[in-house]
Amino acid sequence: MSMLDRLRRWFGVGSADAVEEGDGVAMISCEDALRLVHEFMDGELEGASADEVKRHFDMCQRCYPHLRLESAFRDALKRAASGEAAPPELRDKVTALLEEARAEG
Amino acid sequence: MSEAHVEQGVGFEEEALPYLDAVYRFALRLSGSRDVAEDLVQETFLRAFRSWNQYTTGTAAKSWLFTICRNVFLRGRERGQRHDEIVEANVGRSGPAAGSVNPVWSSLMGVDPEGEFFDSLVDDRIIEAIEALPEEFRTAVVLSDVEGLPYAEIAELMELPIGTVKSRLFRGRRQLQQVLYDYAVEHGYIPARTGTED
Repeated sequence: MSMLDRLRRWFGVGSADAVEEGDGVAMISCEDALRLVHEFMDGELEGASADEVKRHFDMCQRCYPHLRLESAFRDALKRAASGEAAPPELRDKVTALLEEARAEG
Repeated sequence: MSEAHVEQGVGFEEEALPYLDAVYRFALRLSGSRDVAEDLVQETFLRAFRSWNQYTTGTAAKSWLFTICRNVFLRGRERGQRHDEIVEANVGRSGPAAGSVNPVWSSLMGVDPEGEFFDSLVDDRIIEAIEALPEEFRTAVVLSDVEGLPYAEIAELMELPIGTVKSRLFRGRRQLQQVLYDYAVEHGYIPARTGTED
């Protein structure tokens, strides 16, 4: 579900708007959309190019699964690697170290 | 904040300590060892404290700490082997092809188009795969996909042009996807396409 929510956020609520905007505008190619998928998902595409990529994935059934798989992959990495906290002893050690360094001046 | 205050390390704890967990995780991913990671974290915070006067308030403290951490790690690893030689050896010409169509995703189309197999992979298996990447790819992938840093910060941190960061992310992710896919196929998390059930 979280993945779907994220996809929805990327695509905005009204995908119909994108279709309307797309009227008469040439869609970027599958090749281009797939080439830009990382930058798109990383939030590194701005304005027009982000909209174009978004519109492509919204409308292209062949490319859309690539975006979904990319998203599942990233969810897995985040889930696996972002939860771990530093051991409490380490926090104490660092705090003590800083106090010591501060005392030394 | 006056210069004198900066020099005395005023505000350091408030600014830097909230990132202790993140720095620890990063150190863990760099070194693959809890003991080494703990040493790296202590060294990182000590160095950061001592160079607090060089830190510009308002810039990304997390990136700054990561930069120090990575430098400490690389310097420790350099003994006997120059860093650029390692980079050359690792980044070289190997790695996944640069085509726009992801071959792993293409293989999944008929069998697991939503990537449900990722849910079957335990955290440790994924972490193992991340840690097996060459450092240059691993750092980029961790900073982007786990820590969510923008390209510009990763570029500054790794002292690379943004274009190189992009290509490392591309190759690192593809390599990781391939490793996880192969593992999932091998362990039966992904059904075989040509149904050869026994």
